[in-house]
Amino acid sequence: MKITVETNSGVFDFDCGAADKLLYAGLARGLTLPYECATGTCGTCRARIMQGAADVDWGEAPGSARLKRDKGDVLMCQTRPTCDCVLRVAAKVAARPDCDTLPQHRTARLDVMRKLTSDVIHFELALSRPMRFEAGQFVVLEVSGVEGGRAYSMVNFGRDVDRLAFVIKQKAGGGFSDWLFRGDAAGRTANVFGPLGRATFDPEEGKNILCIAGGSGIAGMLSIIERAAREGYFRDHTGHVFFGVRTLEDGFYLRELCDHAGQAQGRLEVTLALSHAPAPAAAHPKFPHIRLMEGMVADVARQAMSGRCDNMVGFVAGPPIMVDHALRMLIREARLSPQFVRYDKFA
Amino acid sequence: MSWKRVCKVTDVPENGLKMFTVDGVALVITNYGSGFRAIPPLCPHMEEPLEESGVIADCALTCTKHLWSWDLSSLAMLGETERPLKTYEIKLENDDVLAFIDKELVYEFEDEDDMADDDFFSKA
Repeated sequence: MKITVETNSGVFDFDCGAADKLLYAGLARGLTLPYECATGTCGTCRARIMQGAADVDWGEAPGSARLKRDKGDVLMCQTRPTCDCVLRVAAKVAARPDCDTLPQHRTARLDVMRKLTSDVIHFELALSRPMRFEAGQFVVLEVSGVEGGRAYSMVNFGRDVDRLAFVIKQKAGGGFSDWLFRGDAAGRTANVFGPLGRATFDPEEGKNILCIAGGSGIAGMLSIIERAAREGYFRDHTGHVFFGVRTLEDGFYLRELCDHAGQAQGRLEVTLALSHAPAPAAAHPKFPHIRLMEGMVADVARQAMSGRCDNMVGFVAGPPIMVDHALRMLIREARLSPQFVRYDKFA
Repeated sequence: MSWKRVCKVTDVPENGLKMFTVDGVALVITNYGSGFRAIPPLCPHMEEPLEESGVIADCALTCTKHLWSWDLSSLAMLGETERPLKTYEIKLENDDVLAFIDKELVYEFEDEDDMADDDFFSKA
């Protein structure tokens, strides 16, 4: 079906299959349509259907709260066209069909699952064909038997990789995490759409790196640190990772973080912030390159980074309240320009 | 409507912002150090209440929800911000901040006809 989208920066056309979502089809063709979560939570991909008709997958999506449905407003990430459509999108959009990380649909097999803590699992997907992505990006996963898509940031990094690694925290009533924690998911097939997201690390920017993550928000930070380490970035720049968990036992990927910190010879500092337990020592008892501090992760970062935020790019990921807190800190106290602050909120 | 007394200069500290209601019109007074601005209470992006989401640093107002940002001195849009801030004219008299409130300033998302409006795309 032909989709015409009228935007604040011109009119664009793209094709969209009956099974595809308007947002995904447009992004796959290189249009920079507005979005953040791509899974119905944030409301950023709002559009108005001026002509045509469409089916909405998840009518109660939290991101639809402010839509004017009687006027044809939809979330593009939840909407499949049933005929040719004309949309309006109140944002500036550009066409970048030559971008080498355009998102696409792939299938994948779930084949490595490793429990990291009592309620956190590392899992991997073997892709049907390789993917190129930027460090810090995510994909949307769909599996049969679980309604809707879920967004997960890649933990690994590589160019044209055929495996993606993720981390997931068990959430009561979370359909996808329940499915994974049930224990029979290995070998099952998933549909993958991506890569997505603009909270990416670009070594060309030449900035020192500040990462503030809560829980599984550490995923994209590991990808960023992996990329930086491979390129020898910490020879000329510093990195600071603040990883918030509840107690010492809730930390994960500490071996990987400790190894990176050790290899960076003091240029990469990693701090585990414990929100619900005192720090038993200045350094982690098993991972000596990981510093321990007590407090909410954004507060810990503020305290540790006071006066040390020159030439910095900030990455923030985690639960919405933590992200909001960290963004305020980065702009008000660390004085980062919004242009150099990037975030992912997990709702 | 006309010039209305909104608050005392000291009610809004430097790099602070605070919402007031004057004759039924809600507005936010921002203090960016070298001056004040009076603006509608919602972010022009996605209607976030700026009194909660807004942060002022280095003369820039940033809505921390999606990081749209404006220079409060020049009113220039910063970074990827796509819509300008609307402002009420203000003046300082003695210790008071006054705003000229002719009519309530609203962004198009509050207008029933916003996206159906033929000249929607030519609007700021």
